[in-house]
Amino acid sequence: MAKEPILGLFETADNAADAGDALKAAGVPQADYDFLTDTPYPEGAFGERHESHRLYIFPFVGALIGLTVGIMLTSMTQLAYPLVQGGKPILSMPPMAVVTYESTMLTAIVFTIIGIIFESRLPSFKQGLYDTRITEGYIGVLVNVDEGQLTQTQTLLTQAGAIDVVRK
Amino acid sequence: MQEGKPLNSRQVNRELLVSILNSPKWFFGALAVLGFIVLVAMSTAGFMINQGFGVTGLNRPVMWGFFITNFVFWIGISHAGVMLSAILRLSKAEWRRPATRAAEILTVFSLMTAMTMPLIHTGRPWRTVYWIYTLPFVPYDYARGIWPNIRTPLVWDPSAVYTYLTSSILFVLIALIPDFAVLRDRTTGISHRIYGMLAMGWQGNARQWKLQIIAGVLLSALILPVFVSVHSIVSWDFGMAVSVKSWHSTIFAPYFVVGAVHSGVSAVALVLIILRYIYGWQNYIRHEHIDALARLLIVVATGWFYFFVMEVIFGFYGREADEIAVRDLQFTVSPWNIWMMIFVGLTYFAPVAIWLSRSARRNLWIMSLACIIVNIGMWLERFLIIVPGLARKQLLTFDWYTYRPSSVEWIIIIGTFALVSMLMLTIARVAPLIPLYDIKEAEILRTEIKIGRVTVPATFRED
Amino acid sequence: MWVFPDVTVMSREVTEKTKSSPKPFTIALVAAGILFILGIVGFIARAVGDGFGEIGPWGYYIAVFSMVFMVTGAAPLVSVAFRFTKSHWRRPLSRVSELFAIVGILNLLMFIPLMFLLPSIGNPEAAVGGELAVRRTIWLEGPIGAPHAWDLVGVIGVVVTSMFILWLSALPDMAECRHTATGFRRWLYSKLSGNWYGTKRQWNAQKAGLALLGAFYFMTLIFVQFLISSDYAQSLIPGWKDSIFPVIYTITSLQMGFGSILVTLFIIRRWGGYEGYIGKSTFWSGSKVLLGITLLWVYHLFAFFITFWYGRLEIEQNVLKYLVTDTYAIVFLFNLAFSFALPFAVLIWNPVRRSAWGPALAGALVIIGGIMFNIRIFVGAANAAPGSNLYHGIMEHVPAPVYPDIWDVLMVIGGIGAGVFVFLLATRLLPILAIWEVKEGALYQKWGKLLRGEYLILGKPE
Repeated sequence: MAKEPILGLFETADNAADAGDALKAAGVPQADYDFLTDTPYPEGAFGERHESHRLYIFPFVGALIGLTVGIMLTSMTQLAYPLVQGGKPILSMPPMAVVTYESTMLTAIVFTIIGIIFESRLPSFKQGLYDTRITEGYIGVLVNVDEGQLTQTQTLLTQAGAIDVVRK
Repeated sequence: MQEGKPLNSRQVNRELLVSILNSPKWFFGALAVLGFIVLVAMSTAGFMINQGFGVTGLNRPVMWGFFITNFVFWIGISHAGVMLSAILRLSKAEWRRPATRAAEILTVFSLMTAMTMPLIHTGRPWRTVYWIYTLPFVPYDYARGIWPNIRTPLVWDPSAVYTYLTSSILFVLIALIPDFAVLRDRTTGISHRIYGMLAMGWQGNARQWKLQIIAGVLLSALILPVFVSVHSIVSWDFGMAVSVKSWHSTIFAPYFVVGAVHSGVSAVALVLIILRYIYGWQNYIRHEHIDALARLLIVVATGWFYFFVMEVIFGFYGREADEIAVRDLQFTVSPWNIWMMIFVGLTYFAPVAIWLSRSARRNLWIMSLACIIVNIGMWLERFLIIVPGLARKQLLTFDWYTYRPSSVEWIIIIGTFALVSMLMLTIARVAPLIPLYDIKEAEILRTEIKIGRVTVPATFRED
Repeated sequence: MWVFPDVTVMSREVTEKTKSSPKPFTIALVAAGILFILGIVGFIARAVGDGFGEIGPWGYYIAVFSMVFMVTGAAPLVSVAFRFTKSHWRRPLSRVSELFAIVGILNLLMFIPLMFLLPSIGNPEAAVGGELAVRRTIWLEGPIGAPHAWDLVGVIGVVVTSMFILWLSALPDMAECRHTATGFRRWLYSKLSGNWYGTKRQWNAQKAGLALLGAFYFMTLIFVQFLISSDYAQSLIPGWKDSIFPVIYTITSLQMGFGSILVTLFIIRRWGGYEGYIGKSTFWSGSKVLLGITLLWVYHLFAFFITFWYGRLEIEQNVLKYLVTDTYAIVFLFNLAFSFALPFAVLIWNPVRRSAWGPALAGALVIIGGIMFNIRIFVGAANAAPGSNLYHGIMEHVPAPVYPDIWDVLMVIGGIGAGVFVFLLATRLLPILAIWEVKEGALYQKWGKLLRGEYLILGKPE
């Protein structure tokens, strides 16, 4: 059966954490519920699932690409038009190091940005169930359950202290 | 270090978004005035390009004067962003929270402004298209395949500045995503759609916040080396030159970087005081933040002074006649020696004397004055490095020159200050200059420890 | 990551460990002592064989003096700096860093021959054939006493100030232990702790004193390092005009000092039974600092190199050939590897930085790198321009490398052994952990619950 989202809004973080406990006790898998906040809470504050990511691969890949591009750019352009300038050798390592370093860092940073956006699962064109009160300080508990369990989940969230429950 | 009163999300949103959602009445007037100054400066630059460089005070051998001084100055101001944002984020200093966004945005705009200086300094700015270095790579001359020569700091410069500019812009945009989400939720119509696009569907779930935090730390760690390299490379525009005696010094790179941090952090402190005043952000930009910035500045200023003394001592070390001629101009010939005394006084002795006093650090008028005089002093520092060196470039005294800036140069310099101010004011209308979630996070992590009868402010820390 | 020591048993445990001499410690002390003696043998043999007339044969001796000076100078600065920034993670390492001040006494002793070795600033022969009447130094025309007297005053100043900092910092611990200590320690603590009873006024005075002394020490150390690096290295190589060299010297010394502290902390944590007092957080934070210093080191080195390389001036190219690309190229490569490449490769990994062994390994690597640096610079400087060549404006011919003979090897290992020997003795005199400082930290750190998670709570005293 297709899963449907339901969003409970809580005024305090304690109530939201209670809702998380209740969902866990009810056997809802941790992968099926999320806590939506307007500010970062320390990891594990709501007892939520651990989020793993592979962000660190992106700067490494970016740096490798930047390093390669930098070395190629600097060496090939110098060899393409070999003009001795100021007595310096055609393939001058120190200036190559400077430009290669910049291209390495630039590509590492650009790839990191791409990685952050990608790992955050953004851009999300279909935002999904959401409430603007979350950015007013309310905490949203977004649960994906089978259609038949929506009412039960709504009751559970209300009992945990939700001031409002939003369905699609 | 937590002197402020507790704030809830609604209050934070309302107060920090006031610059966007409830623009003060003076906003458009101020923008118009600044815009006018910028227009005058642009027209003057146009006049200069039309008439030629004869309308400036530049002449052989002083081919670099006010414009290059200003270029180095604005590159220096841009270093505050990374200093405050990256280093304080990595060291987990709580007091960085209200300062980071303004510093990062000042970085972006001061870099853009700095880049206009060499552009107009070419005299024929349309030719700089040959210099443009980003992909696709463009040779100067297609037919003969002449490529830009990478064996010169004048080519390292754009590679460093573009890298820093791109990185800073991306850093700011990523950090703005959660705040764009708040604005998306608070606006309607076209603003809502634009902020919605910029927020990219941000929901604020645990994964997104975790990556946002990691992003801050990782990007800080990556941008830090770039920040060091940028001003080092700008300093090598001078340091590599063997023909200008007082320039060819190995210490230029760290000397310029520390000087940049000094002027940049002072500028950010000034910007924060101004923002606190014009937007009523007393709850967010508190005396403790300005106090902490001032204490940081004591350390930075002392480091700068050390590098300055090293540079001067080793200037005399070689006892070479041409270098002594430059130092003689800087230290004994009027008015250069007077400017030199003013510069050292304004850059180190006066502000540090002010910052050593706790009551002075917490007095915002005195702090504003201290930050302004630091930046005047640092502008003078770049001027006194560039011009006297060129003015005594050769041992052949008939070639010595005394540089006098013309009104054209003055107008353009003033125009750059107006440009940065105008851009900052404009961006305050579009994005919050204090990160909302950072302030809210501080509230969540705030706690207390009881030791005997005393309650000490404390924070929760994840590692 | 974080430890929460039991302050009720801390004083007793730490003082017992200070008094005890376990077998591995005794073996280390004896081994260091033997190396010390070998170093003295090498020194005497060199003195008898070559005398103190020429600086050339003493290059390795100057290098080992510089090594010891770098570590003992910079180590106390670590505790000064992180006390200033109010970093809680510094508490376990404060005393370790300050104890290096006692090794500073070795600096003074080792410096004495250096005063006789330094060639005079003024050319003893007439300035013929393009020679300079006064060689290039930071003293310009050479004011009275320069450079020997000023260098000596500087070294004494550094040693005395660091000892004062150690005394002031150890005062509360000595006062606490003066009644329970026995023998020499009892006498020492009673004499040095004076009327310390831990009143509010005394604590405030100690805090202010440490801050002021720390600031003074910082300025003095940087200045004296500038003097030593200029007089014993830069001014001895004709044509080497390098404003960044004192900075590189200082950064290398910070690197070596911090590395030594991390290695020491690892040893006492792993084998000294201090695991309950030294958490991994100290290594985690310290590793970031060491990574930063390492990157700063290579950055300054590159700034020096590219400025000299770019202009193609013979005067600068010869210096580069001598110190970097030709004569001491192998030593330079080792220096670069151990001071930058290897520690960087170790410290860039988060899991390695979170461990205790990772930063300690990086610390050991930078110590080796620092040894290479000192050999390259000071052996190079001592042998760059023998005799009247020193008074030329330029190094006309790039000299060949000077390899160590048996006496040089004995002096180097002896110098390092002497430093370790004196440090080990110092750990018997004073507790290696700053008891009062760790107890103070325990007041401000606890484990707390936020919603469903448990985190560290860190107090921020003002």
